[in-house]
Amino acid sequence: MNQNKRINVLINEALNSVDNINRGSPKPFLLTRIYARMNHQTESIWEKIGWFIGRPAIAFLSLCIFLVINVLVLVLNKTSAQTMPIEQITQTPADEFSYTVATIYDLENTQP
Amino acid sequence: MNHQELIIKLQQGDDSAFAMLVEENQDMVYNTALVIVQNADDADDITQEVFIQAYQSISSFKSGSKLSTWLYRITVNKTLDYKKKMNRKKRLGFVQSLFGAHTNEEVRLIVFDHPGLQLEKKESAAVLFNALKQIPYKQRIAFTLHKIEGQSYQEIAEIMKTTLPSVEALMSRAKVNLKNKLSNYYIQ
Repeated sequence: MNQNKRINVLINEALNSVDNINRGSPKPFLLTRIYARMNHQTESIWEKIGWFIGRPAIAFLSLCIFLVINVLVLVLNKTSAQTMPIEQITQTPADEFSYTVATIYDLENTQP
Repeated sequence: MNHQELIIKLQQGDDSAFAMLVEENQDMVYNTALVIVQNADDADDITQEVFIQAYQSISSFKSGSKLSTWLYRITVNKTLDYKKKMNRKKRLGFVQSLFGAHTNEEVRLIVFDHPGLQLEKKESAAVLFNALKQIPYKQRIAFTLHKIEGQSYQEIAEIMKTTLPSVEALMSRAKVNLKNKLSNYYIQ
């Protein structure tokens, strides 16, 4: 009981400790420092871009978009590979390595 | 120079008017920032940024409102920006620690000592400031504006761009949270 009372007194003491507090002052020559800062405050476009990209919402959204694009590419590739007809699968290498393709000589010299 | 003349001269880009604005309000801005961020160097930085912002956006100042309210609002916004910056640094530090990089940033364990405190109250105030650091940021701002800067709830509502009941709720929650934190501290 006594301890509770003592704690309450301490809490009130702490809460009232900032009553009539004097204001603190910044370091001297604040105005000079403000003018100096204004003169040097030329934020480059890259700093702005970095700040924008560095925002958690933008970074998270970009990551999500990147992952979605990757997943889409994987899924689409898989489905197109599965749906390709068997004939086409066998035909493609045959086309690539075909010796029966007509060349310019074949067209010009139709007769042996 | 009265309030209206000062604003007109500021809007015209008068340097002496700006010097007067800084001279008259620097302690108010610095003290608010100091209690919220609890670091003298950061509060000094914020003070500079507040006056730069004021200089750059004085044209948007509405003649009906109070200049001090407007400056308080900029200060509060700048301290919020500061908090976001600190959070970004923390996240970056965490990511760097995952990859084994050592960050140079030291952990701030220094007890905050406000320069305007009376000697006999320093110990109690240090405990209060430590508890203040642990409550939500908006509650901290409302408590600082009311208790340290002596602003009324109505003025705080204007500064924080919120309603009077919201400020009352913020203050009520701040007091409850502070009492809990202080109670935990004194029980240990």
